[in-house]
Amino acid sequence: MSEIKLIITGTPGAGKTTAIAAISETPPVRTDTATTDDLAEVKDVTTVAMDFGELTLDDGQKVFLYGTPGQQRFEFMWKILVQGGLGLIILVDCSRPDPLADLDMYLENFADFIHQTGVVVGVTRRDQSATPSLDEFYERLEAWGRVFPVFEVDVRQKDDVSLMISALISTLEFATA
Amino acid sequence: MSQLKISENGERFCQDVFDTMMQQSDAVYGVLISTVDGHDVTRKFKRDMPSAKLAAMFSSVLALGETIAREADQALCRYVIVENSDGYILTLKLKEKLVLSVIATTDANLGILHSICRSAADKLSKNLR
Repeated sequence: MSEIKLIITGTPGAGKTTAIAAISETPPVRTDTATTDDLAEVKDVTTVAMDFGELTLDDGQKVFLYGTPGQQRFEFMWKILVQGGLGLIILVDCSRPDPLADLDMYLENFADFIHQTGVVVGVTRRDQSATPSLDEFYERLEAWGRVFPVFEVDVRQKDDVSLMISALISTLEFATA
Repeated sequence: MSQLKISENGERFCQDVFDTMMQQSDAVYGVLISTVDGHDVTRKFKRDMPSAKLAAMFSSVLALGETIAREADQALCRYVIVENSDGYILTLKLKEKLVLSVIATTDANLGILHSICRSAADKLSKNLR
């Protein structure tokens, strides 16, 4: 593999754009626009098409990172963005009312893609809520018949984002070995 | 969910503008105002079309147009035009937080369509707060 396309999805405000900005070697491409609904209480802008960033791994492989819009009304973009993708990172915002239900929503909507690829779950905004526990995330994944790595991450930290990407690539390499 | 709404008077004004656009060109069969983040605000369709889905798509396509313009070192994306085998779709920003999209058949002359859109956008921008 010389070029890898990875997708980052998750709820609005989970940190998809921030994660890509934290790790991209080039200025990230963004499609932010003003929020006009309830989300405006939390953030001024939201991604409506995609984010894009790129990085080079130690072995020279290029990783292209595509961030999706979070809202379900942009589901058509999810289907476009996963085309040619090799792995998925799902960011779950623990400050939201029901993070496990949020995880369910992405597992359901990306089911076809998940079926053919690897997934890593990043649990964000832990500083605002210590629940659900990581065990509860693993149990929920198990209920879906899935075993994926789950990490508590601060997406502002390059090392945390790098950890998720490394884990995802290891998962993919293991699956193809 | 609370969404951007226009007043009854605003709605009437928009419908009048949409009617005028459709009178100016028979080819125009859909006009939609949506928010920049993809919510349907008001519309006039002569055919059945999924307005909520289109509103989200117009938001994406306009944001991509603006982003592509920036990446190509060009300023201010005025329109995004989707030219298809059986029609045109024009999307442009309306004030700060709204998007105007016009859907027409190939019977429309693209130049005329531009002109109709620009004129409608000017009227709407002046009257919508």
